[in-house]
Parts: sequence; structure tokens; C-alpha cells
Amino acid sequence: MIKEQSILLDKLKEVFDPQSGIRQEAWKMLLDIGLPTKKSEAYKYTQITNILEKKLNLGLSEENAFNKTSQYETAGSHLVIRNGVVSKEDSKIEDGVVIESKEVTEGKHDPFSLLNTVFSPEEISIRVEKPSSPIFIYHINSIGFSNPRIRVSAGKNQEIDLVEKSFNSEGTFTNSYTSFDLDVNAKVSYSKIQTYDDCFVHETIFAQQKRDSRFTSNIFTFSGTLVRNNITINLDDENCEGHMNGLYLLDSKSHVDNNTSVDHIKPNSYSNELYKGILDEKSTGVFNGKIYVRPDAQKTNAFQSNNNILLSDDATIHTKPQLEIWADDVKCSHGCTSGQLDEDAIFYLRSRGISEKNAKAMILTAFASEAISQVPVQELKDELESLITQKLL
Amino acid sequence: MLNIKELHASIEGKQILKGIDLEVKAGEVHAIMGPNGSGKSTLASVLAGNENYEVTEGEVLFQDEDILELSAEERARMGIFLAFQYPVEIPGVTTTNFLKTALNQIRESRGEKPLDAVNFLKTMKEKMKLVEIDQSLLSRSLNEGFSGGEKKRNEIFQMAMLEPKLSILDETDSGLDIDALRIVANGVNTLKSSENATIVVTHYQRLLEYIVPDFVHVLYNGKIVKSGDKNLALELEEKGYDWIKGEIAEAV
Repeated sequence: MIKEQSILLDKLKEVFDPQSGIRQEAWKMLLDIGLPTKKSEAYKYTQITNILEKKLNLGLSEENAFNKTSQYETAGSHLVIRNGVVSKEDSKIEDGVVIESKEVTEGKHDPFSLLNTVFSPEEISIRVEKPSSPIFIYHINSIGFSNPRIRVSAGKNQEIDLVEKSFNSEGTFTNSYTSFDLDVNAKVSYSKIQTYDDCFVHETIFAQQKRDSRFTSNIFTFSGTLVRNNITINLDDENCEGHMNGLYLLDSKSHVDNNTSVDHIKPNSYSNELYKGILDEKSTGVFNGKIYVRPDAQKTNAFQSNNNILLSDDATIHTKPQLEIWADDVKCSHGCTSGQLDEDAIFYLRSRGISEKNAKAMILTAFASEAISQVPVQELKDELESLITQKLL
Repeated sequence: MLNIKELHASIEGKQILKGIDLEVKAGEVHAIMGPNGSGKSTLASVLAGNENYEVTEGEVLFQDEDILELSAEERARMGIFLAFQYPVEIPGVTTTNFLKTALNQIRESRGEKPLDAVNFLKTMKEKMKLVEIDQSLLSRSLNEGFSGGEKKRNEIFQMAMLEPKLSILDETDSGLDIDALRIVANGVNTLKSSENATIVVTHYQRLLEYIVPDFVHVLYNGKIVKSGDKNLALELEEKGYDWIKGEIAEAV
């Protein structure tokens, strides 16, 4: 079989060529399946390989926006990670929260997960030994190509709230991999604010859940030249809950692709997905939501919705729900909408003395706020509200 | 207070208003009646500043100022209020929050300080009684899932809160049962003073039993074809709009 030559993989091979272990296996697999091409359905609207071939600049080191004021001024653990490596001197970890740098373990087998397995400097393990305040994670990605890798393990009955932010230098490519193992009755929330400047980002988020557990992801994207979020939730046991909330509020030429998948493997589980988008100027949004309901997963409840408002004629949204259902006793629903701001609603508000600008902001803020209603950490909620207001007013 | 001269307006190239003349003084209640499609709602929308309509001729003076170049919000801040025939549902925006923003933007435009939370709530409680509206309704998304009657009561409640000089009620009676009609009319009558004026746009005479007009105008084919006192409304009710159409046909 003749394979398509990958310029990108060849380029990377020069930098690092693993000889043994998990990294080498991942590398072989990656060479075998290759990076997504123009023909890959899953990356149809996000030609990431093509762009990286042209733009990836290995070894580049740039100024970074991270500074002392970047951290939340609040109790809880503050974990600083530089180019995928825990920075002990910058971090402040509360008692009962255990952060360890470990050798990389096996991950998912899609191209970018494999890429991370090969190149990640370490696997950062996060677990808690007793109930803890939120864990705030700050990534500083200042080298040309970084592969942060985090593995969160929530034990039986444990609750962990994580809030993450990344500070990526201009022109960099960050390929992060964050996985979650939820034991019986564990409750984990993972919230991320994405305000990227001129850089490329691929994020993989992967949750595996045991009985009675609940996982929630909240992904809020305000900017980014190219952002791709892959979220996969495996509900591999009964009575699990998986929630995925997202908001993308874009302008200029931002390109944000949310590719989500929830897999109902066992009976009696629930999933709910809500993504909202406001797209202005020449921005592009992509939403793909897959729901799988396997033959054993009877009594599944799975809901999904993606609503978009386009504020400019040059903005684009590609939205695609994808339901594959093999069980027969299930409740599933999905809905996608995209439209413009309701002119009648704006006139209604203006006729009461509210300025046009404020009227639009009111309607858009109300539209967006549904997606942030489930954020469990108040500091983050406050920040989101102010980011939304800033963007919309 | 309001002086409309030779007003012509069109939508998407279609001429709807074909020369309206109307003068409304402080303290007066004017009813504008007419068959469907005569231009009643267009007149209401044009006065409120709906940009979907294009004014092709004429002028509208409000307190001696030409308002046709002003935006909807500027007119609202001057004291013009339109109670919508079909109030718009706005998900996620509560009536309370919306009114607070509206009231404070109006106050700001007049150089007044924003109302603090305590005084705002106090005013709200007073006005709620007027239209027998419940607090729970005001905490919900604006008009979302409201019944027809609740929406119209909410319109009058907003009117009570904003205290306009000129209120235009666009078919406020449509879709109302008799109890809701009584509540709405009672609200309007209570708010009436020698300082403000009301224009009631309606198809039927029914509302005018509750809100008694000083003048009744019949709008037909984009023009006011007949004016009179409240008895004109009764006559219309009895004889129907064909009577007017007949009279016009004879005149031509």
C-alpha cells in the first residue's frame, strides 16, 4: 500500500524519533493512519494538517501573555504548567491535592491523541485525597509545538472542579490531551476559557465514566486563529451523566471547531449537550455532535442542541448533529438552529428607550448566558460574564 | 402635543399611509378605527419609529419637534410609548431587568440619576397592582410563554412604569377576554391625566366602552375619512365598515 507522504510527520521525525515503549507504538500507529487530510470527514471544515504544514515553526520561542495577574485571586489549588511540564515554583497546591509528573500512559488512538502520546514531555496526574477547593490550571505554551498531557483521576464519591486557561505564544501549535477517569459516583467538572491570539490549538478531552458518576465539560471560546476541540465521553456503566456545554463568541477571522461525541454503552444513562454560538465579522464556527447509543444501552436519555446567531454576512457556521442508535427503548433529541438577530425583538426593546447597541447586547447576552449557567465556580462565572459583556457591548 | 401633517408611508415599496392629518392635545383620548388593512397599525408603527416603514411625505411634530428623523429609542425617551399588538417574546431577558434598563436609559437621557434598586422595586410594586400582574410573571423571560392577556397586561404595566406623554395602544383589545379587557382599560384610565394623551387603535368598538375617547377617527385606505366624537364609534358598530366604504364610493 502506498501512503500519502506527510510533510508534517517527516518534519517532526527529525526532531524526535522514539525507539521503544508506548511512544514508539503510538508513533507507528500514527504513521500508519496518518494525520487528517482534505478527505477526512471529521476535519472537513478544519484543514488543520494543511495549515500546520505551512505554519508550524518548531522551536520558536516567543513572548507570552502570562503574568502575575493571570491567576485567579482565590483559594484553591493553582497549577502552572510550562510547555507541558509542571512548574513547581509557580504552582500553589493545597493539601490533599496530589500532582505528579509521570511517564506517559496509553491514550486514545486518533491522530492528534497519538501525536500527543509521542511528544508529550510528561503525563501530569491529578488526584485528590480529600474534598478540595477548585483546581485552577494555567498552561503557558511558549515553544513552537507543545503537547500538554493531563490525567485526572476521581476516586469513588469524590468531587473535583477544574478550571483551565491557556496562554499560548503567537504562532505556536499546542496539541493538548486531557483525560478523566471517573470512579463510581464521582463528580467532575472541567471548565475552560479559550481566548487565543494568533496561534493554533488542538485539544482532546476524554472522559471515561463508571456507575453513578457525572462529568461536565464547559468550553468557552472567545478567539483563536484555529481552534479544534475534540470531546469524547464514554458512558461505560449504568446511571451515568455526561454534560457538555459550550459557547463560542467569535469575530475577526477566528475559526473554532467543536467536535463532540458521547457514547452510551450501558443502560440507564443520561447525556445533555448544549452549544451556543455568536459569530461576527469573518469568523467560522463548526459544530459536530455525535451521540452513539449501543445495543445494550436501553433506557438512554440523550439530548443535544446547538444554536447559532450570525451577526455578519461573512460569518459562517457548519453544524451537524449525528445520532447513531442501536437500542430501541431510548429518548433522544437533537436540534440545530442558525439565524440572525431578531429585528422585531430589537425594535421592541428600542421602543422602550433602550439604545440599539444595548438592545442587541441584551438579547445576545441572554442567548449566551444559558451556556454558562452550569459553571460551578463563581470566579469563573464572573469572569465569563465580564468577557461576554466586553465582547458584546 | 402631536401634530401629524400629510403623512405618507410605505413598506417594501407599497404605499400604506396616503396623507394622514391628525392633531392630539394633552389630556385627550383619540380612537383610530378602521377595517383590516386600512393602515392603523402602520400609523402606530411609524409614530414609534419602526424602520421597516419608509416615510415618503409629510411631517410628525411631537411637542413641536420633528421626530421623523429620530430613532425609536429617542422617541421613547421623549415620551412616546407603543403598546404592541403582538408583544415580542425575548428569551432570557426578564421583564424586571428589561424595565430597569429601559427606565434608567430614559432617565439618563434626561440627565437624571438611575433609580436605585429599592426605589425601582417600590415603583414596580405600585404599578403591578394597577394591572393586577403577578411578581412571578415579571421574573420570567419577557413575554415568553405568556398568555395573550398576560402579554397585553404586561404592555400596560410597562406603560405605567415608563410614564409616557403619548401612549399608542395598537389593537390592545385583540385576543382579550372581557376580564382582561376590563383590567387593561382600568390601567389605561388610571394613568390618564391632563398632561398626557392616548391614541387607541382598534378594530372594534368594544374597548371604547371602557376607554372613552374624546375623538374617533376612521381610517380607510391610508387616509382619515371621517372624524367625530364617541358616537361615531357606536354608529360604526351598528352600520359596519361597509357604511364608510359606501359613503366614500358615493363621494367619488
